[in-house]
Amino acid sequence: MNENTPFDHRPDPVLGDALRAALTIEGRAEFVARVLAAAQRPADPLVDVLARWARLGIAAALLAATAATLLVSRGKQVADESVVRGADPEAVVAGVQAPEAGVLFASYVDH
Amino acid sequence: MAGTMATDPPRQRPGDVARTPGGVEDAALAGRASAGDRDAFGELVGRYADQARRVARAVLQDSDDANDAAQDAFLSALVKLEQYDPSRPFGPWLMRIVANAATDRRRRRRVRRAEALDEGLVAGRERPDADAEREQLGERLRQALAELPERRRLAVVLFDVEGYSHAEVGGILGMPEGTVRSEVFHARRRLRMLLADWREAP
Repeated sequence: MNENTPFDHRPDPVLGDALRAALTIEGRAEFVARVLAAAQRPADPLVDVLARWARLGIAAALLAATAATLLVSRGKQVADESVVRGADPEAVVAGVQAPEAGVLFASYVDH
Repeated sequence: MAGTMATDPPRQRPGDVARTPGGVEDAALAGRASAGDRDAFGELVGRYADQARRVARAVLQDSDDANDAAQDAFLSALVKLEQYDPSRPFGPWLMRIVANAATDRRRRRRVRRAEALDEGLVAGRERPDADAEREQLGERLRQALAELPERRRLAVVLFDVEGYSHAEVGGILGMPEGTVRSEVFHARRRLRMLLADWREAP
C-alpha cells in the first residue's frame, strides 16, 4: 500500500482491488440488455397517447370551426340579399311569420 | 487543471479500452449514439456498465438499487448526449450523471442496507472457505464504506477503484481538488485499518 498522506497522488492498488471486488455487480450482459430495452421504450406511453389525441382533437376543432364559419357567412349573405333585393320589402317584413325562402327567391327573380 | 493532470500519471481504467489502438473512441461512439445508433450506445453501456454500477453501489449500498440508478443514469446520458463535449473525456462526464442519479435515488428511498448485509452473510457461510472469506471481506468493506460520508465514499472509489485523477474526481463531485485529496486521505485511512485488521485476524 502507498504511504497515506493527502499529497499522495498515486492510486492504492491493494485497496482499489479489494473495493472493486466488494462493489462489482455480476451480470453485465443482462444489465446492458436491460438498458437497451429501456432506451427503446417511449418515455411515457400515456403522454404519447394523450398527445396524439390532442393533435386529432385540434384538427377536428379547426375543421368544425372552418365549416361553421363558412355556413354562417353564407347564411348571412343570403339573408342580406333577400332583404336588400326583395320586390316588396313591406310585404316581406309585414307578415307575422318569417317569409319562406321560395317566396323571397320568386320575388327576386321577378325583379 | 492541466497542471494537476500532469501530477496524476495516466492509469488504466475500464473506459481506457476506448483509447487502445484499433478501438473506437468514446467520443466517436457518443456522437454515433447521439445520432440514433443503437449499437454505439450499447457499446458505451457495455464499457461503463461495471464502473457505473460500482459507483452507484458505493452510494446506495444495494446492488438492485445500484442497477436501477445506473440504468437511470445511462438513459439520462442518452438524452443529454448532445450536451457532451467530445473534446473532453467521456468517463468523468458520465460518472457525474451516475453519481447524481444514485444520490437522487438514495434520497427517494429508505436504505435497505441491513437487509442486504444479512443476505450476504448468510450466502457467505454457505460457500467454500475461500469464497466465503472473500465475501465476508467484501461485506466488511461495504459496511466500512457505508459509514463514511457519501462524498468521501465516492471520492475514494472514483480515485482508487476507477482510476480517475484528483482533478477529474473534483469535476465529477463538484468539489475543489484539495478537498478531494483530503477526502481520499481520510477514507483510505479508515479502509486500510480495516484491511490490516482483516489480514491479522486468525
